[in-house]
Amino acid sequence: MKMRSFLPAVAEQLFRDIQKAYQETSQIPDDLLIALKFVFGPCALQALDLVDQHSVTCLSSPSGRKAFQVIGGSGRLYTCFVSCHYCPCPAFAYTVLRRNEGPLCKHILAVYLCQAMAVTQQESVSDPQMSALLSGTAPL
Amino acid sequence: MADILTSVFRTFMSQTDVNKDVTVVPHSDSSVSSSVLLPGDSSVSSSVLLLGDSSVSRSLLLLSAVMAASELGVRVVFFTQTQIQSLPVSLQKCVPSPESLKKIKFSYPRTLGDLLQQVAGLHESQNTSPTPPSLIIVDRLEGFLGGNHSEDQTSAAHLSALLCDTSSFLTQILKQRSPSSAPCRLIASFRSDVDSEHTGGESSATDPILDVLDRYFQMRCTLDRDRSYEAAAAGLKELWNVYLSATGITEDACTKEREDRPAAAPKEWQLSISPDGSMEFKMA
Repeated sequence: MKMRSFLPAVAEQLFRDIQKAYQETSQIPDDLLIALKFVFGPCALQALDLVDQHSVTCLSSPSGRKAFQVIGGSGRLYTCFVSCHYCPCPAFAYTVLRRNEGPLCKHILAVYLCQAMAVTQQESVSDPQMSALLSGTAPL
Repeated sequence: MADILTSVFRTFMSQTDVNKDVTVVPHSDSSVSSSVLLPGDSSVSSSVLLLGDSSVSRSLLLLSAVMAASELGVRVVFFTQTQIQSLPVSLQKCVPSPESLKKIKFSYPRTLGDLLQQVAGLHESQNTSPTPPSLIIVDRLEGFLGGNHSEDQTSAAHLSALLCDTSSFLTQILKQRSPSSAPCRLIASFRSDVDSEHTGGESSATDPILDVLDRYFQMRCTLDRDRSYEAAAAGLKELWNVYLSATGITEDACTKEREDRPAAAPKEWQLSISPDGSMEFKMA
């Protein structure tokens, strides 16, 4: 994913390590879990929960446009972009945008983890549905 | 890089500076379109936030649109809330052909919701055939973002992220169709409320909306009215300093790419606007 360039190098390396370890052993070793918690704080465990619950779907439309959709803990759907960090959740607005306390929320972290572990669900939508999701005018 | 804007600056340079340019910079003014754009160079930053006076910004956006359509022959989408009544005076000296103007599609969204929907729809086939737009322009972002700063931060982030993601997607489509294509660029103008309360123009960093926009746009182009003695001596002409600079988050992230980049274009320009509205640029 191109949006990795928005992350500090340490986080990028961590995702690469997770990807490699998961490819080889189908699990994330403890040292990488500790590193994940160290880099992303409490967000890490919540994101891993979302991964366990298969909450991340990559939507594609016939135009080739893609977007991620994450089912939050409350069941709400959040649409995230593939090339830059944005999530319509309150934590992103407060922690990331207003307080500038981190680069992402648990939903975006879950997207990164699912991509690294190759466990993202796939789904097709129509072009107008994709437009509505991207503009935030309609849930799926 | 703010390549389209730099093309505009070079094209509308004063004659004395055109000569200087040939000796200082390894490409002449006549080859501006091919030399400045670095076609196929994906490391070229493609989003620029134009900050400062709304009417000067708007003229620059229009010049950029016309330059891209007429000199580069690419499609442009221009989003603005206010109808375009006339082209900037500078263009009346080198009138673009009606054919090239047809490459510019003006859209007039009234609200933020309209703008989000129109930008989100740019991937649909009616907007990408026969060719997708290579330049997305948004005039006066502040007009779409209301007065509530905390809600507006989220709206600003959504709009900026959608614009960046759209230009990234269109770049992908352009490259699929022709691998040597330049990326789809994005230029948006913004005038900060905070900034307008001060005359120095130094306070913009404290605007919470601008902080958010800086997360997404790779370059800033700042217009700052020059009120120095020299400016006063210029008489009726208005003088503006134009600064190009990289912005916060993406700057660090792109450092590696930037090291490989060919000689950078000048970062400072001076713009003089005559009483008749014609614009002339000089390298600072």
